[in-house]
Amino acid sequence: MSTQNPDPGSDRIALLQGTLDLLILRTLLLGPHHGQGVARSIQRQSEEVFTVDHGSLYIALQRLEDKKWVRARCGVSENNRKARFYELTPKGRQQLLEKTTKWKRLTRAMGLILDTAAGPQSEEV
Amino acid sequence: MFRRKRSEADFAAEIQSHLDLEADDLRQEGVDPDEARYQAHRTFGNVRAAQEHFYSRARWIALDRLLRDLRFGLRGLRESPGFAAAAILTLALGVGANTAVFSVMNAVLLRSLPVADPQRVLYLETSRTPNGTGTIDSHATFSYPVYQALRQPNRALSDLIAVGALSTGKVNVRIGAQPEAAEADMVSGNFFSGLGVRILRGHGFTPQDEADHTQIAVVSYDYWTRRFARDPGVLGTTTFVKGVPFTVAGIAAEGFEGVDPTQSTDFWIPLQNRPEFNVLGNPPENGKLYQQDDTWWCLRLIGRLAPGVNRQQAITGLQPLLQRAARIGLGEPMPGERPIALSFDDAKNFNGYEDQYAKPLHILMAMVALVLLIALTNVVMLLMARNAARQREFSLRLALGARPAELLRQLLTESVLLVLLGGALAWAFAEIATRVLARWALIESSLAPDRTVLLFTCAVLAVTALICGIAPFRVAIAGGAQLALKTSAATAHTDAGKSRTGKTIVALQMALCVLLLVGAGLLTRTLANLRNIPLGINTTGLVVFGLDPQSVHNEAQLVRFYQDLQTRLRRLPGVESTTVSSTRLGSYWSNNSSVKIDGKEGLGADGNSVTVRSNDIGPDFFHTLQVPILMGREFTDADAPSKQLVAVVNQLFAQTFFPHESPIGHKVNGMTIIGVVANHKYRSMTEDPIPMAWWDYQEAPDEGGMTVEMRVHQADPLAILPAVQKIVAQMDPNAPLMQPTLQSEQFERTISQQLMFARLAEFFGILAVILVATGLYGTLSYRVNRRTAEIGVRMAVGARRGQVVWMVLRDSLILTAIGVVLGIPLAVITGRALGSALYGVQPFDPTSYALALVGVAAVALAAAALPATRAASIDPLRALRTE
Repeated sequence: MSTQNPDPGSDRIALLQGTLDLLILRTLLLGPHHGQGVARSIQRQSEEVFTVDHGSLYIALQRLEDKKWVRARCGVSENNRKARFYELTPKGRQQLLEKTTKWKRLTRAMGLILDTAAGPQSEEV
Repeated sequence: MFRRKRSEADFAAEIQSHLDLEADDLRQEGVDPDEARYQAHRTFGNVRAAQEHFYSRARWIALDRLLRDLRFGLRGLRESPGFAAAAILTLALGVGANTAVFSVMNAVLLRSLPVADPQRVLYLETSRTPNGTGTIDSHATFSYPVYQALRQPNRALSDLIAVGALSTGKVNVRIGAQPEAAEADMVSGNFFSGLGVRILRGHGFTPQDEADHTQIAVVSYDYWTRRFARDPGVLGTTTFVKGVPFTVAGIAAEGFEGVDPTQSTDFWIPLQNRPEFNVLGNPPENGKLYQQDDTWWCLRLIGRLAPGVNRQQAITGLQPLLQRAARIGLGEPMPGERPIALSFDDAKNFNGYEDQYAKPLHILMAMVALVLLIALTNVVMLLMARNAARQREFSLRLALGARPAELLRQLLTESVLLVLLGGALAWAFAEIATRVLARWALIESSLAPDRTVLLFTCAVLAVTALICGIAPFRVAIAGGAQLALKTSAATAHTDAGKSRTGKTIVALQMALCVLLLVGAGLLTRTLANLRNIPLGINTTGLVVFGLDPQSVHNEAQLVRFYQDLQTRLRRLPGVESTTVSSTRLGSYWSNNSSVKIDGKEGLGADGNSVTVRSNDIGPDFFHTLQVPILMGREFTDADAPSKQLVAVVNQLFAQTFFPHESPIGHKVNGMTIIGVVANHKYRSMTEDPIPMAWWDYQEAPDEGGMTVEMRVHQADPLAILPAVQKIVAQMDPNAPLMQPTLQSEQFERTISQQLMFARLAEFFGILAVILVATGLYGTLSYRVNRRTAEIGVRMAVGARRGQVVWMVLRDSLILTAIGVVLGIPLAVITGRALGSALYGVQPFDPTSYALALVGVAAVALAAAALPATRAASIDPLRALRTE
């Protein structure tokens, strides 16, 4: 028996999964954040290219917490609302480093192929 | 997996806080507060989906669904308790009957002795013991000298074990002050080691124990439990067996009940060499104990095949040894006597009883399988009827987007639930049933279900669950999603060929019912015939009990003891006469040997020596038993020792050896024949007459115990026993009354298996009738329900109530007729198969058939009565108004 995969829009999440984890870790590198802050931060920093599916974000946060890459504690936001704050663990920092390197190598390799290939012109993202 | 760190509520709170924070941010950006809240929600997306995702990611979804389905199923069952009870009970009876019978079959036919590597353990058997020998079983017992010859180191067997019974029944033991009876065997020193039976505590026997005849005993786990309450302190205590002290040295492993089929041995002792421990407690013949007696073939032998040797090789290796050893002390074989041939039999739990039990058990197994089939179809029909009623529910669920697979899962879960509940009940039922069966069949060894049986039952249950889950599925989805849109209850049910399926099933059930009833009828009549077998003895008021006086040490004392006892017994009010005999009548035991007639070996018409049964009896024996004396006289008190030795024979003996003259005055084994009595039953009720001779016990008394017979004139003859006990206690405080009972019951024990099988057959016949009746009732009332509107219309346009009743009855009768037409040929085949299990009944017994037909007709009418009444009481107006 296994845990269930998400059903609605599962391909989209699957596509984003690795990326989303990386983005969350990167965001938390700047300091503890609550979920909404992470979402906003990603959106803003990507110049609104990424719109984060908030449901998936919280699931991802939970997953990272289960893996002990982040840890959560209760706190109060700047406008005095109770929220769950996440921060990186040393293990998470380690993971961020590895994943960033991996991601850079991947994008570089992808870039090399896509730029030189005589395929169809790449479309606007 | 099950350790959850966060509750769902916590997760939900986090999402709520997100929405609040987002709304705050939006408000700060200048969005209107209501709009901000709305927008926060919108950008978040599906909150419920996220929660559901969170919920499902941390658990075994399949298990979760299963639990949900189970809860739902249980709720459904609670809502219709009638249906639940009917289905569960039906399953419990069907499966329970199968489990019980299979359990008996497993114990009797399949289970091996609980020994190490049982495939290599074998009972030694022979074609026939040599002429001139006495045996316990003419195919399965050997003399001690033969045992000694065969156990010399050889390549065939790594171990050869000998087992000698201490008595024909139980032996006298005393633990503490009270005398009691127990089941015991004396065995060779390699008994436990050779069989590979573990000793739980203490130690077993060694070859040295056998050589020294050490006075130690190993008790069985069962006896340890029953008699000593599992007190480990029993080791080292002393038990007196026939007055001789034995030290309890060990407790055998649980489950090992010895090697006596149908009996559970209480304890074992090493082979002994005292006269009172001669095999069966017989007196030494010509001063020889079993160890010296070449003609007393009394030991059962069990061998373990040597490594790498197969059965055939072992037989080839042992045969010459056996043939040589068999002649020890017997001299040359008689002309025409065939040399003895060795064979092996599997070390089964019920060695030697397979033939006796195999056929009836197979028949019973077939019967219960049919009962299960009927039960199963009943449950399926119940489920189909129930699910037909739930068709709207299923339809609605399909319409709401449930997948058929999900419906099937739900149905399977419900069926598993039913089957599990039914199965648990069935197991409990089987546990009790096997105990009752063992008592009926007078089997002491355990018939309780074991792991094999559990496996069997689980397999049956699994198949049942599958059938009960899948069969109603068709009906469940037959309506499709669109049925939910139809409005009328009546029109919703009009299609569906399921009523045809139901009718076919009922007709088939009827056929099976006919079959079972005919079978039950035949066996019941067999039973009646068996009970009415003329014994040749008047058993009315005949009480029998055994005695083994410990205070008697020589022949003179023994004779005096019994004379004294009888004088006292005869003085009791109500006692007409008493007598004694060495072997109890109707106990299956007999003393068999060939005889010398006028000094020559007694040969039959075919020139072979004839086996004659004999018994040592006291004066007044035939008078007490009321067996007619055809010629001469019986023994009297005057035939005391040291006078002329005398014998009485039966009619068949006279016809066999003296076809043309009177036997009176001739000599048998040197004793003068003084009387001829009518043939009567001796060992069992179903035996054919056999030549018999009786010796006067006063002339050659046994060391061992005797059986006392008393004819008592009072309403409850057994009520005399306390008075008897008092008299015996005055004469010998150490002698218990052994197995006191009525002589008629003693004889009935010899048909106990037939009794058991007939009772079971009756029971299953009745069970089948009940199941079929409920099945038919269910189908008919279901049909009447569905046709309420139609019947209403019919009545509205002028149908009379009688016609409506007839309509329902006709349904039932047509189904019955079809069932009977199908069932009778099946019954004929069954009757033939029963063949040898019948006694005094022809397989095509008109009475049994007639009774079976009356039975099913009664079922058909009874099952139809209620639905028919209900149909007739339908109020046409109301029926139409519900439309």
